[in-house]
Parts: sequence; C-alpha cells; structure tokens
Amino acid sequence: MEIFIFFVCLAGIGLVAFGFQIWSILEKLKTEEKHNISGCGNKSFCGRIHPASFRPGISVLKPLKGLDDNLFDNLESLCLQDYPEYEVIFSLQDHNDPAYKVARKIKDKYPEKDISVITERCNAGLNPKVNNLIPAYGIAKYDYILISDSNVMAETDYLQDTVKHMEDSDVGLVSNIIKGTNARSLGSVFENLHLNSFIMGSVCFLDKFLKMPCVVGKSMLMRRRDLEAIGGFEAVKDVLAEDYVIGDRMHKIGRKVVLSGHHIMNVNEYWGIRKFINRHTRWGKLRWKIGGASYLSELLSNAVFMSFLPVLLWEPSRLTLGFAAGVSSIKILGDIYIGSRLKTNMNPLFYLLSPAKDLLIGLIWFVPLLSNSVVWRGNRYTIGRDSMLYKYPESAFWSWGYRFVNAVKARVA
Amino acid sequence: MLLCDFHIHTKYSDGSVGLRRAVDLFGQAGFDVIAITDHVVNGDTSFGRLAHRFRFSVKEDNFDEYMSNVRREADRAFEKYGMLIIPGVEISKNYISSDKSAHILIIDIKEFIPACWSYEKIFLEAKDQNALIVACHPHHSSEMATRDTLFLWNNRDKYAKYIDAWEIANRDDVFNVISLKKFPYIANSDFHRVRHIYSWKTLLNCDKDTDSIKQCIRHNKGVAITLFRN
Repeated sequence: MEIFIFFVCLAGIGLVAFGFQIWSILEKLKTEEKHNISGCGNKSFCGRIHPASFRPGISVLKPLKGLDDNLFDNLESLCLQDYPEYEVIFSLQDHNDPAYKVARKIKDKYPEKDISVITERCNAGLNPKVNNLIPAYGIAKYDYILISDSNVMAETDYLQDTVKHMEDSDVGLVSNIIKGTNARSLGSVFENLHLNSFIMGSVCFLDKFLKMPCVVGKSMLMRRRDLEAIGGFEAVKDVLAEDYVIGDRMHKIGRKVVLSGHHIMNVNEYWGIRKFINRHTRWGKLRWKIGGASYLSELLSNAVFMSFLPVLLWEPSRLTLGFAAGVSSIKILGDIYIGSRLKTNMNPLFYLLSPAKDLLIGLIWFVPLLSNSVVWRGNRYTIGRDSMLYKYPESAFWSWGYRFVNAVKARVA
Repeated sequence: MLLCDFHIHTKYSDGSVGLRRAVDLFGQAGFDVIAITDHVVNGDTSFGRLAHRFRFSVKEDNFDEYMSNVRREADRAFEKYGMLIIPGVEISKNYISSDKSAHILIIDIKEFIPACWSYEKIFLEAKDQNALIVACHPHHSSEMATRDTLFLWNNRDKYAKYIDAWEIANRDDVFNVISLKKFPYIANSDFHRVRHIYSWKTLLNCDKDTDSIKQCIRHNKGVAITLFRN
C-alpha cells in the first residue's frame, strides 16, 4: 500500500505540473493577443497588418536536408510573408539532396521574390544543421537573421509578429512556440501530442515561472551583431543543442530572450514510431547532458507513467488500474483542451493515444542514463557536457555492440 | 531531368491514400511528372470478381468520374507544384497461375479498356488512343505478398512489339532480364502506401508535356532510373 500511496503522490505532482504547463501556454497565448491588440488598437479593424513602422529587413535562413513532410508548403509559406523587405536562403550541402529539387521549384514559382538556393558542402563542425547555416549566413544581406527549420510552416503574419519584439533594443533573440499538426500515422500522432503538451508546456513554463531562456531552434530571430557577439555560428558548430546554447549565451551577455506567442506549425504527417523514439531519445540525451539533475523533473511531471507504476510494482488490482485510468483521463482531457485552444485540428480519437505516448516517453526517459550516443541525420555521435558533440569511435572496442546490431540489421534486410 | 513515377494507385483501386493525398505527397516531394494508374481488373475470374466486389478496380461505370477527378487534380497540381499528371490505368489480368497473369500500364488513356479483352485487342485499342503501353513487374518479384505476373515476359516474342516500355525496376526490385534483352525501360514505385514513395523512379530528359514524355519513353533516349531515397 505504501508503494501505491507513494506513486499517487508522484502522479499528483505530475498532474499539478501539467496544470501549470497548461496555465503557462494559455498565458503565453493571451500575452500575444494583448500584444496584437495594443499594437493596433483593434485587430479585427486593422486585419493582420501590424501598424508599427518597425520593419527591418530580414534574412530568413532555411537549412535543408532531406524531405520533410509537407516540405513544399513549408518552404512556400516563408515566401508568402506579408512583410515588405526580406530574403529567403535555402541552404543545402549538395545538389543530390531530394530537398534541392523542391527548393528550386519554389524559387522558379516565385521569380519576383528574393529567394536564393545555395549548395555548399561545409564541414566546419559536427552539427550538420550549423554546417548548413554557415554558408547561408555568409551571403545573408540583412541585419536581422531568422533561422527557420525546414519542417516549419508559418502563417503570413509570422515575420511581422515575430520581429515586433525586436523593437525593444534589449531583446537579443525571439523564438516561437511550436504546435504539431496534420498527424496521419501513429508516430506522427505521438509526436504532435508530445509537442503540443510536454514540449510546448515546458517551454512556456520555463519562460513564465523560471524566466529561463529555453529556445527551440525551429524559429530563432536575432540581430547580426548579437549573434557575432556570442561568437557566431562557429561557436556552436560542435554542439547538439545549438539552439539552447545560443539562447543561453544571449542571456549571459545580457540580452533578453523572448518567447513569442505567435505559434508556428511543425507538420508531422507520416512519422513512424521509430522516428519518434529516435528524436525523443536524442532530445532526452541532450537535456540530460545540459540539465543534469533537473532532468529528473521530466519523469516526475509524467503523471501517466507514475500512475501506471503501481500496477507493475505492486499489483494490477481494481484500485491501481482505476487510478491509472483516472490519471490518464485527466491527461487526455488536458491535451484535448490545449489542442482546442491551439486549433491543432487533430482527430479527437487520437487524443486517446496520449497515455500510450506518455508511457513510451516514460521508458525513453531512462535511455539517456544508459547511453550517450545519438544518431542524427545519418551520423552517429557521442554527446558530452552541454551537448558537446564528438565523433563516434566506430572502431573502439566498447562500440562492438553497435557494430553487432548493424551487422544483424544488414543481414536481416 | 524530370523526376517521374508512372505507376501510382489511389483509393480508386487498392491504394491506401486518396487521389488528392497521393498527388500532394508527390507534389510536396518535388516530382515533375506522375501517372495515376489505378487497377482495371478482369471480371472473368474469382480474383477479378472479388476485386470488383470490394471496389479494388476502376470499372466502366465509374471510369468517367475517375478521369474527370484525375484531370481536376492535374490542373491543381500543375498550378501549385508545376507537376504534370497523366491519367492512366493498370490493366490487371489476374489468374491463379503467375504464368498466366499480367499487368499492363496504359498511360494517357482516353476511353475505358476492359481487362477481360484479349491482349491483342487491349494493345490495339491502347495504340488507337495513342496511349503508352508499359509491362509492369514483368519478372519475379521479391515481395512475398505480391503475386508474380509473368505472362508478358514468358510470351515476349509474341507481345514485345506492342509494348512501348518494360518496368526494369518496380519499388525495390530490379529486373535485370529487361536490361539483358535491351528492351525500352522505365522504373516506377507501384505506389500503394506512403512509404512506397521511396523506391525506384524514372528520370527523363525531355520537355514537361505528355507527348514529349511518351516520345522520350518510346524512343528510350534520355531515360535513366534512380533509387529515390530520403
């Protein structure tokens, strides 16, 4: 019985944390609405146009690697911004990347827009995304640099809504909250549920209550001089969490890091479960390396996982199963509420999968404690303190396990 | 080079995604030319009757609707993605014996062609319609769930003269016999599920219009195949 009570308390803590996460998300959305209203008096009157005259030129850097779901629309959405002066730079490592053809099509479709497609193999560091950004940054012509991931789709007012935070000259970096949309497979449903609850909730929670800069690199707007002040992209070429490190360094040099309530869409349509597990194992490892002991809080905030542990560790009785079902129901309702506020358009039945996703995430949580290697964009690395990347020593004796698994995979295929 | 896939199924037959979704998948991935080729199954066998019963076949009575929807999607795809869509069907003559079975792509079809006609009649009708005739997966396939369709290959001496091109690669399989016989070739995904988009494809060095594409394949110059991977 003590075990049960113990986990009831932990699940209770998790539910309270989830409540705070929902509160943080709602507050962030409200803040954005207020910002819009104070900016133009009456948004319905002035439509989507922000009347302020602050419209600096922006270079949008779009690092591309492979085909993301919805890639054409993602790239096109950046070219259809309701903004007077900006350029879009699609950056790839080589012409044979399947994303190259898509980028060329976008450029050909909008000849009147300032769009560049550059292919340059850059091996400056171990982070492939930063390697992609360095050549694009080299040809960027404006003083405001926006990094936008290839799997991001934005509304037409994305640039104007994001840049307005830069009117405050103390602001050094603006990032956005991300909502997952358009799930059509189990992996995508899990991914979008996780993005819209835990990831978004945690980012908003850290921003509101702990005032910690927690930057998700899918959208980062900076001034060129601020980026150079923290060492430019060269300074983060060998770290996995370049977004977090950039935000942290901005904070340390005294620049404000702002989380805009303007949400951008991360379209995840056809993910498999393996991709979901791979991404969240990688993200878990980097949070473990960056956060250290505070990584434990992630497990504690997983109320569903905690509520199922008595079933395994004590007994599968009516009491324990009923408790797990109750906590799962609360979590499902919370996710439905967030989804409705964010207008994610997710099939309501998909929310029933939320507890299964949380159980899987609970298991994934333990992996970083056992392994420090990650596979990212086809490359294997080991990660060290503050998510520093090191080349994975393929030939080292202790890496025999991975070599063995790879050999078995090749044979089975 | 034009990135092409001439063998795509939708929910009009046994594909798992609807026509619009299939078009968007290929458009979002940057394809230049695709052909929608849902099955037209012969109704004179138990296999065929089952396919008709479970609506895994385009039939004469819904062919016009099928064509008009493909054409509407073609207009949308060209405007949005700059992607050319050619309407087609896959004539599917299914029998218990693999040696008797054959699948034939009729690309740029205009009028319905029943699959229960004789091979000669089907080929001549397709020629009359100036459609492209492609022999699909003509040799042994590696997929356990797929039944082989060997009739055309086994009877190539008789039928090769009617066939504009042979699938030298289909999804993950490569049929080296096509190369050895020096037959004109293309490569396709035989798309039924989303993951099939990553498979063998055709690259064509010609203008992006239906006549140039058909001519390029028939002459088999400026044709290459590529394994499309992410």
